[in-house]
Amino acid sequence: MSCILFWSLLLICLSTVPEDLSFEERDELSNIRRRKKELLDDIERLKFEISEVMTEIEHLTCVRETKSTQRNKQIAVGRKKFNMDPKKGIQFLLENDLLQHTPGDIAQFLYKGEGLNKTVIGDYLGERDDFNIKVLQAFVELHEFADLNLVQALRQFLWSFRLPGEAQKIDRMMEAFAARYCQCNPGVFQSTDTCYVLSFSVIMLNTSLHNPNVRDKPTVERFISMNRGINEGGDLPEELLRDKEPRGIIPLENLSIREVEEPRKPNCFELYNPSHKGQVIKACKTEADGKVVEGNHVVYRISAPTPEEKEEWIKSIKASISRDPFYDMLATRKRRVAAKK
Amino acid sequence: MGVFFSHIFSRLFEKKEMRLLMVGLDAAGKTTVLYKLKLGEVVTTIPTLGFNVETVEYKNISFTVWDVGGQDVIRRLWRHYYQNTKGLIFVVDSSDQDRIETAAEELKKMLAEDEMRDVVLLVLANKQDLPKAMAVHELTERLGLHALRGRQWFVQPTCAVQGSGLYEGLDWLSDQLSKR
Repeated sequence: MSCILFWSLLLICLSTVPEDLSFEERDELSNIRRRKKELLDDIERLKFEISEVMTEIEHLTCVRETKSTQRNKQIAVGRKKFNMDPKKGIQFLLENDLLQHTPGDIAQFLYKGEGLNKTVIGDYLGERDDFNIKVLQAFVELHEFADLNLVQALRQFLWSFRLPGEAQKIDRMMEAFAARYCQCNPGVFQSTDTCYVLSFSVIMLNTSLHNPNVRDKPTVERFISMNRGINEGGDLPEELLRDKEPRGIIPLENLSIREVEEPRKPNCFELYNPSHKGQVIKACKTEADGKVVEGNHVVYRISAPTPEEKEEWIKSIKASISRDPFYDMLATRKRRVAAKK
Repeated sequence: MGVFFSHIFSRLFEKKEMRLLMVGLDAAGKTTVLYKLKLGEVVTTIPTLGFNVETVEYKNISFTVWDVGGQDVIRRLWRHYYQNTKGLIFVVDSSDQDRIETAAEELKKMLAEDEMRDVVLLVLANKQDLPKAMAVHELTERLGLHALRGRQWFVQPTCAVQGSGLYEGLDWLSDQLSKR
């Protein structure tokens, strides 16, 4: 109580004019006081205005954010719908203006493939509809195949979706692929037809070699004879047909790589399983007769010709290694089952 | 008697293999046929990138069915697979009036292949559950089957989605095989 009284007294003192001032000085003082009051009022007003604007800005960003989160949510819903039924998913995205009804735009969406099931992308691209075929063509055009050999280009292409198993769908896809390959690499094949038949033939070879339901595995000679006459009635050079298959495959999943000293060979490095020592690394190789056998090693040791190349290999392999928790779960379960036995 | 006995013996225990090719237009139902036949079997392998191929064990015969097809230029590639093929399964969408001529054309081209000379033909008149489905006699006529000379053929009505008719078709094929 006494405190409030003190402050009020002080205020009265300040607003009063000291006795010893001349008339001019008093005038001046009152001017200054008025000016001060005006300024203070201005400040107050500006403060209020600023806070008004700030709330407005806040409100606007908020709206924009909800708009973009809403958009993202809808895209996520569209992706989910696509994975259940590609036509319905695309329809949903078109209706909500998240996608334009052009083959190019849809192809871009599939090519990015974020959150999309590759099998479903393949199903959609394989449809016989004119529109789907246009999307397929636009999709293939998004791939860059310049300076790649046919198998490298095919691998890249088949990475972006899962190839369906129906012959007619594979046919359309290989035709579109061949057109693009020849466009990127003029002069490699005499005609796009040659490239298309050979690409189709490579898929047949892959089926024969790796599908366990095919018992009669073809030899290289049979593959070569199968492709006789596909080059506008002539044969393709044999080098082109040999060595289509890699000798072995080691999926770079859940592995690590390190340098090792090897007394007999220079510049060595090895692939090993960091979390489960002693566990066989998933791998396979093709034997001379075309039979595919599973690998049974716990490490793969590789020797590079030069130290520089070793560094390069280690760097590239490191960049390609991916981790999938599923394998760890599987390994744990396998061990548990083995322990029970 | 001994010969007779050994014949029966081998019929009982020897597992026969029969290589089959399956053709038909887009959306005739080939994939459904293939996977309905496999139903009930546990899938243990990682699916291979490539054409649909399935092995079906039925009545002591192991049927290997390849889904083949593609445009005319591709047919030359399949020739290597036609050799040693015992049967051709031609799947046709019985309700597709518009494309039945195209289907007939496709079948004719396939049968004209030299390697297909001795192959038996099983036509699966699929999608019989649809209202506008053509009956067996109409399909037989429109596919021109009566004009086939020196070939064993049979039309089996099916509804692959429900799995009906498929094993009857395999029965016919296995009878044909055992006659040889």
